[in-house]
Amino acid sequence: MQIKNGTLHPTTQLIRQIVSFFEPFGFDVFEGPEVDTEWYNFDALNVPADHPSRDVQDTFWLTDGRLLRTQTSNSQVRYGENHKPPIKAVVPGICYRNEATDAGHETTFVQIEGLYIDKNVTLSQLLWILDQFYKNIYGSDTKLRFRPHHFPFTEPSIEFELKFDGKWFELGGAGMVHPKVIKNMGLDPEKYSGFAFGPGIERPLMIKYGINDIRLFRSGDLRFLKQF
Amino acid sequence: MKVLKSWLKEYVDFNWSDQELSDKLSYSGTLVEEYYPDNKSDTIFDLEITPNRGDCVSHIGIAREVAALQNKSLKKEPLELKMSSQNASSAISVKVNDSNACPRYLARVINNVKVSESPDWLKHKLTKCGLKPINNIVDVTNYIMLDLGQPMHAFDLLKISSASIIVRKAKNGEEIKTLDGEQHKLKSDDLVIADEDTPIAVAGIIGGFNSQISNQTIDIVLEAAEFERRMIRASSKRIGIATDASYRFERGIDSSCVEYAINKAAKMMQELAGGTILSGIVKFESDKEVNFVTFDEKKINNLLGTNLSKDEIDSILRNLGFKVTGASCQIPSWRHDISIWQDLAEEVSRILGLNNIKMMPIPKSTPTKKSDYYYKEYLKDILASMGYSEVYTYSLLSDKDLAEAQLSAKDLLEIKNPMQPENKYLRSSIIPGLLKAVAKNPTFDPVLVFEIANIFNKKNEEPKLAVVASGKSAKESIETLKNNLGEIISGLKIEINEIGREELSRFKIRKPYTYVFEFSLKDISKKMKLSNKDLKLKINKDSIVYRPISKYPSLTRDLAFVIDRKKNSKEVRHTIYQVSESINRVELFDEFASDKLGKNKKNLAYHIYFQLPDRTMDDKEADGVVKKIILAVENNHSAKLRK
Repeated sequence: MQIKNGTLHPTTQLIRQIVSFFEPFGFDVFEGPEVDTEWYNFDALNVPADHPSRDVQDTFWLTDGRLLRTQTSNSQVRYGENHKPPIKAVVPGICYRNEATDAGHETTFVQIEGLYIDKNVTLSQLLWILDQFYKNIYGSDTKLRFRPHHFPFTEPSIEFELKFDGKWFELGGAGMVHPKVIKNMGLDPEKYSGFAFGPGIERPLMIKYGINDIRLFRSGDLRFLKQF
Repeated sequence: MKVLKSWLKEYVDFNWSDQELSDKLSYSGTLVEEYYPDNKSDTIFDLEITPNRGDCVSHIGIAREVAALQNKSLKKEPLELKMSSQNASSAISVKVNDSNACPRYLARVINNVKVSESPDWLKHKLTKCGLKPINNIVDVTNYIMLDLGQPMHAFDLLKISSASIIVRKAKNGEEIKTLDGEQHKLKSDDLVIADEDTPIAVAGIIGGFNSQISNQTIDIVLEAAEFERRMIRASSKRIGIATDASYRFERGIDSSCVEYAINKAAKMMQELAGGTILSGIVKFESDKEVNFVTFDEKKINNLLGTNLSKDEIDSILRNLGFKVTGASCQIPSWRHDISIWQDLAEEVSRILGLNNIKMMPIPKSTPTKKSDYYYKEYLKDILASMGYSEVYTYSLLSDKDLAEAQLSAKDLLEIKNPMQPENKYLRSSIIPGLLKAVAKNPTFDPVLVFEIANIFNKKNEEPKLAVVASGKSAKESIETLKNNLGEIISGLKIEINEIGREELSRFKIRKPYTYVFEFSLKDISKKMKLSNKDLKLKINKDSIVYRPISKYPSLTRDLAFVIDRKKNSKEVRHTIYQVSESINRVELFDEFASDKLGKNKKNLAYHIYFQLPDRTMDDKEADGVVKKIILAVENNHSAKLRK
């Protein structure tokens, strides 16, 4: 029998692993638009009008006034306003940043957003799901630790680090969805709470396999892709 | 921002080691990026302060955190000034025209100072915190900024015409030469400190050149003020100057500390530069804002998933300077980031320590209906099983890409502000990206690739599947694929296109036969009949060894083994990988069982690719590795090389 050596992109493979992890908890998979309005990408997420992330050097603005989403969080309010609690969704997708590229920076990258909103969703549950999630990717002896941080769309906001091969790596941010964001979904923030997180996909892959250049993911180089 | 351990200790006692202090701060919200010894008894901590924490860009601010973490209070010395009987208001006048932009402006006058170099201890402290010593007057203003977070400025009194300070909006087009020697044109949104004639400083951002302190300065005016945060940020951005002062004003200063700061500065200046402090502060002051938040400890516990008593919560908040009375909580003047009870919950969680919160599982529940995502993944598996490799290409195109693909810009969505020329348009088809990928892989024949991604045109965004087959047996392969997809997607019409010679040369593809197709996956779940079992995501459980690609050419060898039928080809593959770092890729290309090979035996054949990171590998070296591979596979899997 002749063997067909087709391969799936490493990013596809990691997203599948993540989606499979969230399935038993009832998370839906939603794919929001990559071209979106300033409302869903910034305003609805409580990002102040003069916040640096809206600057032209960070965001791709279209000539028609829309933008390329800078984060999968654009889907939080999009999904939230069309679903009733409990709201549980993961949103894998491409995000964009208007910057010069090098081994560590890319204009085009993939994130996966996680969103859970219901009565009595707690920070302690967010810590648990992140811990379980990274144990699922890196193995059960993985250590995760949390630091307070600041994002406009979450309160409290946290950042998390992972210990891999004896070193700590910063992996991403998360937090309890800001009451203004919950309100923008059409829900009462005094009744509902929730968490959200949005880690990048390329970085965990780079850490796991020792990939030294983020641009390889979109290089189309089969010598790279066929190793996965 | 850099802080010195010895300086923190002026405000709070602690016995932590440097590592402990670093951890305590990092895990309560002020991240220590690094710390290093200054001399035997001191350590410098370099902190990353998030933009909401304007209160932490000073030594007193960090000391306040250290105190709160230890359930202690700050040591803050009361100040006593020796002043002359002459009143400052006889020497300078202050008028504020815009109390929104400048809610507070305080000025003190010191006569007969001797401007000179600062003493070593002061120069040392400034240098260690990253500032350049200038003279004893300017250095004190900088010291106070690092100490208390209050930016200050000193003017040469004799350079201020009519001895009057006016805080006003700039006139459109008004110019000022700033301390750095640059000339700036201002706009009517910018706030200036002016005398009777001209601006003498851009408020909160940078001082003017002409009124700066020089060695000839005798009398000085000391300024401590508060400026509106958004105005400073907008102004600093527009003028293109960001300073240590604007950095702090943008984040918000402590309006209750302005007077203390100007007094401490005056006292220090007198100690270092002599002179007479005139009595009184010439000031303009609006009422200080006092803000309250109402909170319910049950809600805080519900949000955090904790079980803290009201006393425990109150105690954390009080240590941070909040005044708690029942359900009401007065926000300290230095905290501009607190306005809702969820903000208080964050305070509680960070002082408690996130890593001390007990993790709680979330409930399991039945999975929802499978969305289109699952159908796309199902298609990816079909494509991979037919030998196609998934690639991710860019959504953004350049003018050059448009020329290569002969696309017209008028049909495409366009980026208004690309930093790089590559990122000017959004793709309306995946095919050009895939053809570029084919060109990038000259050593592969055939090249079989696909991508599922969104494409964009003026009206909408939709997911598509695109396929390219190029080279050996490309036509046969893509036709089989087309037929297979046609069987599982209802109503699907696929048109295979052959890429012409001219287009191939535009894309620099040197393979003669290249075929493509692309179709929409919009509402794909409605066009395929698949069970939940079909849609279950396939997870690759193989152990993957990744080896960086060398820029030097690779060598290929084919090896076939006769092996027991029960053996797994992936385990053999893994054994091969382990033999040498020079093995970049191992691909099974043939597997068949036959009794001609022996009872219960099968044949496994692999392409093996070799490369070296620093030079071209020669045949002899490759043959050496091949020998080791044969040995390893034969010994570990009771196999025999097939000759």
